[in-house]
Amino acid sequence: MWWLKDVWVIDPSQNLSGSRDVLVKGGQILEISSSLSEEEVLAKAQGESLETVDGKGKFVFPGLIDVHTHLREPGQEDKEDILSGSRAAVRGGFTTILAMANTQPVIDNRALIEFVRLQGERAGYAHVLPIGTVTKGMLGGELVEMADMKAGGAAAFSDDGKNIQNAEVMRLALEYAKLTGLPIISHCEDKDLAGDGQMRRGMASARMGLKGIPASAESVIVARDLLLAEETGGKLHLAHISTTESVDLIRRAKTRGVDVTAEVNPHHLIFCDEEIRLTDTVLKVNPPLGSRGDRESLIEGLRDGTLDMIATDHAPHTLAEKARPFAEAPFGIASLETALSAIWQYLVLPKRLSLERVIEAWSYSPAQRFGLSGGTLKAGAAADMVLFDPDFSEVIDSAQLVSKARNTPFLQKTLQGFPVMVWVEGQLVQRNRTVL
Amino acid sequence: MKWQRKDILGLEDMSVEDIRHILHTAKVMKEILMRPIKKLPTLKGKSVVNLFYEASTRTRTSFEMAAKVLGADTSSIAVAQSSVSKGESLYDTAKTIQAMRADLVILRHPSSGSANFLADILDSGVINAGDGQHEHPTQALLDIFTMEEQLGDLNGKKVVIVGDVLHSRVARSNAWGLQKLGVNVTFVGPPTLVPVEMEGLGVKLTHDLDGALPGADVVMALRLQLERQKSGLFPSLREYSQLYGLTT
Ligand SMILES: [Zn+2]
Repeated sequence: MWWLKDVWVIDPSQNLSGSRDVLVKGGQILEISSSLSEEEVLAKAQGESLETVDGKGKFVFPGLIDVHTHLREPGQEDKEDILSGSRAAVRGGFTTILAMANTQPVIDNRALIEFVRLQGERAGYAHVLPIGTVTKGMLGGELVEMADMKAGGAAAFSDDGKNIQNAEVMRLALEYAKLTGLPIISHCEDKDLAGDGQMRRGMASARMGLKGIPASAESVIVARDLLLAEETGGKLHLAHISTTESVDLIRRAKTRGVDVTAEVNPHHLIFCDEEIRLTDTVLKVNPPLGSRGDRESLIEGLRDGTLDMIATDHAPHTLAEKARPFAEAPFGIASLETALSAIWQYLVLPKRLSLERVIEAWSYSPAQRFGLSGGTLKAGAAADMVLFDPDFSEVIDSAQLVSKARNTPFLQKTLQGFPVMVWVEGQLVQRNRTVL
Repeated sequence: MKWQRKDILGLEDMSVEDIRHILHTAKVMKEILMRPIKKLPTLKGKSVVNLFYEASTRTRTSFEMAAKVLGADTSSIAVAQSSVSKGESLYDTAKTIQAMRADLVILRHPSSGSANFLADILDSGVINAGDGQHEHPTQALLDIFTMEEQLGDLNGKKVVIVGDVLHSRVARSNAWGLQKLGVNVTFVGPPTLVPVEMEGLGVKLTHDLDGALPGADVVMALRLQLERQKSGLFPSLREYSQLYGLTT
């Protein structure tokens, strides 16, 4: 049994933000209450061994749920695999991660869904939930067997990494997915507008002579998918929103009652295109970093609920792949181990976002939208839980990272505010930054 | 002045003093090249590697000749364009060059930023002979040298650059270098090839050639690649030359 004393509990599922004691027993939250005496706690332990944690000055909140990670297994295990990715997850405070389907082969049938799920269970760290593709072979044509894949454990469907260019296929997907109740996750990118662009089209791209991707490459597809979701009544989730125009479109669609949720990535909330240097491929990401104005719109959208969740889009790559001239390096930032800390340091400390909103957007909202357990510390819930020390600072060091990837913009930089204990179903899986 | 730079990667981050120093040296060198015996010991014992990922006989030969005149040993690594994506990466090639202990590497490469990338890895100096659509500093320095020969001091002069500036490393390098010398630079072309974000280079933009020409001291016409028509950036050579062709 665990007794977390005098800890600041943030649990958006019960509108709770305050100093409490938390008791965990048998893998579940036993209770959250004030000023328990040792006798009371020992009585509740009923002989089970008791570990007490002094929570003063620290926060506890539900384990984060990341709806957008690339774990690269099967097929690209040189970048990451399910074991290393789920270890990186718990090191970063995530107890549930959704694994994107653009592996090799792509996850487009039940057998592969079950493989990913089982690999997650074998790893035994974060809960790993597979996302299936929307179309067979992720080719944007025929739909996958959604009902069968849901029975095998699929949490959602997405051709992420590519966009379904054919609007009729997208419309049919939104219709057919109703059988499953699961959302279609859309990676909004018009292929022709994006072209072979390398970063957001703007003054920075013009200056460096890098081919630009206009903001409209995202927002025209956001508009299309919102209209299709509205017409079909389908369940739509928009991945990695990055432009002002997209935020406006989503805000308006929500007032019309469209069944849509949207996520934003930490790097789009923190960086912008003018920070990109020609030799710094670590900030090369898709969708590309936008303007300062876009960044402000995203923060505003997250504050007012237009953007429902934060998701990492953890995209691990090897050093060799990123050590190339800008145009030849792959898109993506590895972020599971640094994302929460970066959001704390860049957005919560400067009071741009409340910690309560961050936790809601990174645990409760994803659990609600994807119908997942977790995202709550209510009594009886599985104890997926994070103890966060706002004063703990760490140099992001290659030797400490447990992900296989090193493509993080924070490498060799100091971040402050880290998860120092993480439990999955009451089992301690990370302590003092070390994965157990 | 003493030359402090390891590399010449672009004119955006080159100081006015450095630019003037190069222009001055070029003037002296030009005189030497007019002599019957044009061989200098300046780079004797030094090795210069030409690393060309794009075919360009003219640029490569110019660099080779320059190195030979200065007494350096030169070698060439020509990499066929087709093998770039499959074969050795630029990073691997850089490691090989590092092992060869070259003193100077001349790089021509289709990716913007590749010269900066190489310079970060190598101890040897790197001269950018054109990287993607980013910079072509030596070409721009030559253009500026020629303009100074014709016009003298360029401060306050007006240079008009016409054509596909969006895809032009020569236009970018000229814009940076000329503006540092006090030149007013104007880019002219259709909005698809001279988009508004090019203002980020500090230059004036216009789509009207006739309006831009009065008062211009120099007009530079950029080469137009026909593949731009196929990708829809302009409708036809006919209309393009009507609007942006230079006729006397
Ligand atoms: Zn995506």
